[in-house]
Amino acid sequence: MIKLAELKKFLIRRILTFLPTLIGVTLIVFIIAYVIPADPARAWAGGEKASQEAIARIKAQYHLDKPWYDQYWFLVSGLAKNTLIDPRTSNPVMDDVGKRFPKTFELALVAFFFVILIGVPLGILSALKRNTWVDTIIRFFALIGVSTPVFWLGYILIFVFFVKFRLINLAGFPAYPSHQITHIPMIDALLTGEFTIFKQHIGRLWLPGFVLGFQGAGVIARFVRNSFLEALSSDYIEFLKAKGVPKLKVYRHALKNALVPIITVLGLQFGGLLAGAPITETVFGIPGMGRYAIQAIQNLDFPAVVAVTFIFALVYVTANLVVDILYAVIDPRVRY
Amino acid sequence: MQEEYKKGILDRLADFLVIALGSFINIFKRDWKKKNKSKMEEWRLMLYALNRSPPGLIGVFLVLVFIFFGVFGPRLAPWPYNYFPFFDNGTAYLAPPGTQVYLPSHETIMSLHLGADHYGRDLLSLLLAGARTSFVISIVVIVLGVPLGILLGLIAGYYGGKTDELVMRITDMFLAFPALILAIALSAVLPNRLQAFISSHAHLQSFVLWLFGLHMREAGNLGRLLSVILAMIIVWWPAYARITRGSTLTEKENLYVEAARAIGLSSWTIMFKHILPNIIGPILVYITLDFGSVILMEAGLSFLGLGATPPIADWGRIVYDGTQFFPKAWWLIIYPGLVVMLVALGWNLLGDTLRDILDPKTRRSIEFKVKKTKKMEEKEGEENA
Repeated sequence: MIKLAELKKFLIRRILTFLPTLIGVTLIVFIIAYVIPADPARAWAGGEKASQEAIARIKAQYHLDKPWYDQYWFLVSGLAKNTLIDPRTSNPVMDDVGKRFPKTFELALVAFFFVILIGVPLGILSALKRNTWVDTIIRFFALIGVSTPVFWLGYILIFVFFVKFRLINLAGFPAYPSHQITHIPMIDALLTGEFTIFKQHIGRLWLPGFVLGFQGAGVIARFVRNSFLEALSSDYIEFLKAKGVPKLKVYRHALKNALVPIITVLGLQFGGLLAGAPITETVFGIPGMGRYAIQAIQNLDFPAVVAVTFIFALVYVTANLVVDILYAVIDPRVRY
Repeated sequence: MQEEYKKGILDRLADFLVIALGSFINIFKRDWKKKNKSKMEEWRLMLYALNRSPPGLIGVFLVLVFIFFGVFGPRLAPWPYNYFPFFDNGTAYLAPPGTQVYLPSHETIMSLHLGADHYGRDLLSLLLAGARTSFVISIVVIVLGVPLGILLGLIAGYYGGKTDELVMRITDMFLAFPALILAIALSAVLPNRLQAFISSHAHLQSFVLWLFGLHMREAGNLGRLLSVILAMIIVWWPAYARITRGSTLTEKENLYVEAARAIGLSSWTIMFKHILPNIIGPILVYITLDFGSVILMEAGLSFLGLGATPPIADWGRIVYDGTQFFPKAWWLIIYPGLVVMLVALGWNLLGDTLRDILDPKTRRSIEFKVKKTKKMEEKEGEENA
């Protein structure tokens, strides 16, 4: 029972430190939107080509003529209550972002699948075949993964799979399933049994997902190798070996203990995958959040930039929070 | 195993480099060489270890090539980045690799070994000039961003308490954003201010233009180029603050710090002369790896259309402009991307090897090997005598 009380204390403390971080995020977003631009009203109205009346209208609409604390409150409450209107589309800006979020999330999910599918087995193999040519090749692959520019890999694979063999589709985005449960179309399609729609989504996203996950796979392979090796060299493994436990069982014990830090890094990777979306989505023409952010910047659409940046940070911070809590639940040693 | 004990040409080069460096420092500090014999010995052992790792040597080679072209690239480029052959001869437009184009106004033939872009510019020249852009950006980001992070991390870790709390909460604010997203948002909003700033400082402007090897005409585009640099500095320092704070926290518990405090050394002396040298090893590894990451992120940002604008030569920007002509003009995507990858790979290989060398666990075996070498040599010397 004492352990559970400790966990509760840890959770409360962790969630309490979550709040200042969230406030910090809104502060930085505010600085990006209101403080950095030399002439915010003109910038929000579309830069050099904006007319005087447009500037005046935008100024009044977004409180750009008010003191800073009023501006800050306007921004934060606008983000929280979804009252921030995008001047270009006249929609509440969170609606626009919300429409694009599932696509990016889906992409990250597919990429995450590739990260695990490629990274974990390679890491284990690399550790088991330590200091052989297999290990060398896998380590080199991991370094290639970290060093390859995402856009370059993307275009090479587009050349192979689209231009040469016409195996993939690069236009539009498949339809959503008829019933929305989780609002992530791929999962909904599985839940409602609409497998053709699920197949369409996979068909559209497998290559972008692979490209996005390629870098993470290398990182994970390397990490799995190191933590598995560390587990293999611990005392309890020596003990098991001395006891004459079969090899496979020894590995299972080691893997179980190595899994805790691996899960943490995997969780952090997921946040990183979401953040890598702008480049991948631009290359593959996926109308997701990253692409939206880039278009918003090109159009100097400030509310959109603010909203997208805020949402990305929110997801990232939440992912970290979930990882921390999971870590504490799995491994009691961190609940100090 | 006899080969391991032989001193190769690279080991002799390492000996020479260490002695040269020692003598160089000796010019400024008297008796430095005498007092720091063990330090020089350690450097030598590290270089020996590097010489025994093929991936490390490949990394060193790639990095040295990158630095060479970063410094001399724009001069070595056969054609300047701001000359547009397309206006002389229309066939230069997206000319494929290996084309020869006659330029009436220069009365010469231009050989496009790697092809041309939509202005007819020689891709090879652009890649060479782009090396300077990448090189300068990575150096500036690391030189300004990393020390800022280290300084704040040291202060937070050493003083602790409220200072620590304040610094780390600010650091957490920045770390709450995915790096690429924050860099994108910042480099989108920063250019106007930076342009105004750089235009009003004529000396600084000409210095920056010289640094990037750009013509005066590009002064109006500097704001965008600098915005990417500043954005990446803002993104880069928090990670270093966190790493440095962590190692400072454990390091300051050591007895030697207490002793230094007891004899009345100032906090700054303890932080910079005693703690920092002891925690700098892992940080150096991160710096080496991050040179690669900075170059990758810069290429990514300019691929998204942020940062450098044409005609400034920039690897990511060449790809961004080339995508409109994909797949016809494949060379505009394949070659710049390949260059970015090789450079990033070079830094990563070097960083990876440095990690092994600086890690006491793995270094021991290497040191042991090399020490044996010296004993063997002495034996050989005795025998010869």
